[in-house]
Amino acid sequence: MNFELSDEQKLIGESVERFIQDNYDLESRRKLADQEPGFSKDHWATMAELGWLALPFAEEHGGFGGNQIDAMVVMEQFGRGLVLEPYLASVVMGGGAVKRGASAALAGEIVPGIVDGSRQLTLACTEPQSRFDLHDVTTTAKASGDEFVINGHKSMVLHAATATQIVVSARTSGGQIDRDGISLFLVDADAAGISRQDFPTVDGLRASEIDFKDVKVDASRLLGEVDKGYEILTAVANDTVLALSAEAVGIMEKLYKNTVEYTQERVQFDHPLAEFQVLQHRMVDMFVEYEQCKSLLYRATLETTQGDPETAQRTVHALKHLVGKSGIFIAENAVQLHGGMGMTEELAVGHYFKRMLVIDSQFGNADYHLEKFAA
Amino acid sequence: MDIELSAEDLAFRDEVRAFFKENAYKPGKDYAEWRLDWFKKAREKGGWDVPKWPKEFGGPGWSPTQHYIWEQETARATLPWDMPFGVGMVAPIIMGYGNEEQQERFLPDIRARTVNWCQGYSEPGAGSDLASLKTKAVLSEDGSHYVVNGQKIWTTAAHIADWMFCLTRTDDSGKKQEGITFLLIPMDQEGIEVKPIITLGGNHTVNTVYLTDVKVPVENRIGEEGKGWTYAKGLLQHERTGLAGLSRSLVALEGLKENARSVPRGNGDLMDEPSFRAKVAELEIDLLAAEYTELRSLASAQAGAAPGPESSILKLKGTEIQQRIQKLTMEAAGPFAAAWGDKPAGPKFAKGGTGGYLASRAYTIYGGASEVQKDVIAKNVLGIKRSSR
Repeated sequence: MNFELSDEQKLIGESVERFIQDNYDLESRRKLADQEPGFSKDHWATMAELGWLALPFAEEHGGFGGNQIDAMVVMEQFGRGLVLEPYLASVVMGGGAVKRGASAALAGEIVPGIVDGSRQLTLACTEPQSRFDLHDVTTTAKASGDEFVINGHKSMVLHAATATQIVVSARTSGGQIDRDGISLFLVDADAAGISRQDFPTVDGLRASEIDFKDVKVDASRLLGEVDKGYEILTAVANDTVLALSAEAVGIMEKLYKNTVEYTQERVQFDHPLAEFQVLQHRMVDMFVEYEQCKSLLYRATLETTQGDPETAQRTVHALKHLVGKSGIFIAENAVQLHGGMGMTEELAVGHYFKRMLVIDSQFGNADYHLEKFAA
Repeated sequence: MDIELSAEDLAFRDEVRAFFKENAYKPGKDYAEWRLDWFKKAREKGGWDVPKWPKEFGGPGWSPTQHYIWEQETARATLPWDMPFGVGMVAPIIMGYGNEEQQERFLPDIRARTVNWCQGYSEPGAGSDLASLKTKAVLSEDGSHYVVNGQKIWTTAAHIADWMFCLTRTDDSGKKQEGITFLLIPMDQEGIEVKPIITLGGNHTVNTVYLTDVKVPVENRIGEEGKGWTYAKGLLQHERTGLAGLSRSLVALEGLKENARSVPRGNGDLMDEPSFRAKVAELEIDLLAAEYTELRSLASAQAGAAPGPESSILKLKGTEIQQRIQKLTMEAAGPFAAAWGDKPAGPKFAKGGTGGYLASRAYTIYGGASEVQKDVIAKNVLGIKRSSR
């Protein structure tokens, strides 16, 4: 048994931590979030240069051949810094689907661009009616010669405005909620028939509603086998949940630590707030929940990389449930204990809070995963 | 014990409903004009524009049941925009502790809603511990005015207010609750600067107010110098009762259920999902109980006594209920809870859902944080002697 990171992983973690210290003070982040495209192209280039965009990909395509533990190390630090760049969308989500489903030729064409940052991917797998069910798909893809023609609407597509390629889930057969009959396609973001409406999300990131009207995509851009996309989608969703949860754990750490710090400085009734036992106990509860989430994050990540897939799947559900529930508990109490100041845009707590809410709303909230776990 | 409404009460309810219906806003009308006219008509009904004012000041002198009926009906009707600071908050203090001249000078405008008020209480160093406030008021040598210096924070609507009722320190030699003086300050006075604070919901409702050598005539002092804390404490109880908002929550709960039913899930909707339905049910149960807590407190205050410590229970429970409604509304939006602003998709109710939830986090902070309410209950209701911490 060993919970130590490898030397390489420690180095990555330290390098991300340094990057955040140097670049991600609250004011700089706010400026980036307030103007288009909502993140820094320079930071994106730096991330490519430092090799972070290469982590999960095969070495033959310029990647590092890393696994979910490496992603965890990066995402936990990203959480502490509230990083805006589309790492999750491009490397974990879109890149994850390409990694798993692309033919050797397609991977050779696409992955080097993800790794050097010149391509930015995303995944379009949510629909107006689908809520968190990735198998609820009404967007269709009809075969026509060497092509497929896609029609439908995708919702809440992360960072689509700056994406070069979009991985789209579409129904090639079966009924609306069948797990069979879903196929994944890698579509150029500027393909004819795609129209987007872009908007900011609660946490300052970006998302889009996308219409697909007779969008033609070459059959060579199919990821995985036809009708068998759901398996890839599930694997990508699990990786995304692990990454989001690692980010959330980084956020929770900052939230409880900032609260402990603030209550030691803030004096009311002639005492620092932290001297009031009722608040001490609240902060202890926050800390305990954070540690529990971290433990479950390790468990789910290690089981995913080394364990039995079915057990791992169940733990991933458990993780996203706990992260949603405890993360919001910690965030709500961080705001409460900061009083009025916690309600302002001036302090970091509010921004961590908003990111926590968005994390809970992505790839299944606490309720959704509780039911999946219990099922 | 009896929960049936009497024939008179039922008649009153119908009368209230008819009044709301008759005077409802009609699209195309000038809103500001309609608003002032609405209050005028309510006044002509015999004090319906100021339901909580005592009879001698023009209030309707309703029974607790009538107040309850009014609350119920107002939650369902669309009343004109009104802020609590004038009619609900400063007016009772002027009635209770102001002199006749002040009552004549301020109450008519407050009642007509032609003047907006804000509350200058909290300061950067005085939040939950309000009595530690430091904004200094120094009486001029000739005794004609105070010179006020300091900073107020979280001042709701200061940017649209004509007047501020303000707690100032005139003496810091004794206990901190002593030496506080209650002043009424016109916002257009020289030396007042209002700066917006943008809150998590992205809104501008609260402000920081800087006071630099602001001259306030001594005629604007309510009651005695140094007694402001006593006056304000009574008002805080009023504020807390108002903040529970149970009638509004009942209506909001109905809205929540309706919204959840509009979210399709398989062959049914979100209300068919056991975990969501259970949370809505738990919320409803708490609301059913809280509603009776409010009725019991109303009934015990029948003699017109000031609301007692049970108002702390109501604030505590009522604000928590409001937050849960907002949270469930956000959850009902599912993936669309993440969208911000004027977004092009997702259920209609999701618009502002997360903004509403974020804003609701302040409910357990302002008007006495929940932790302070619990201290009040422990001390005044349970009779527990306060420990040092």
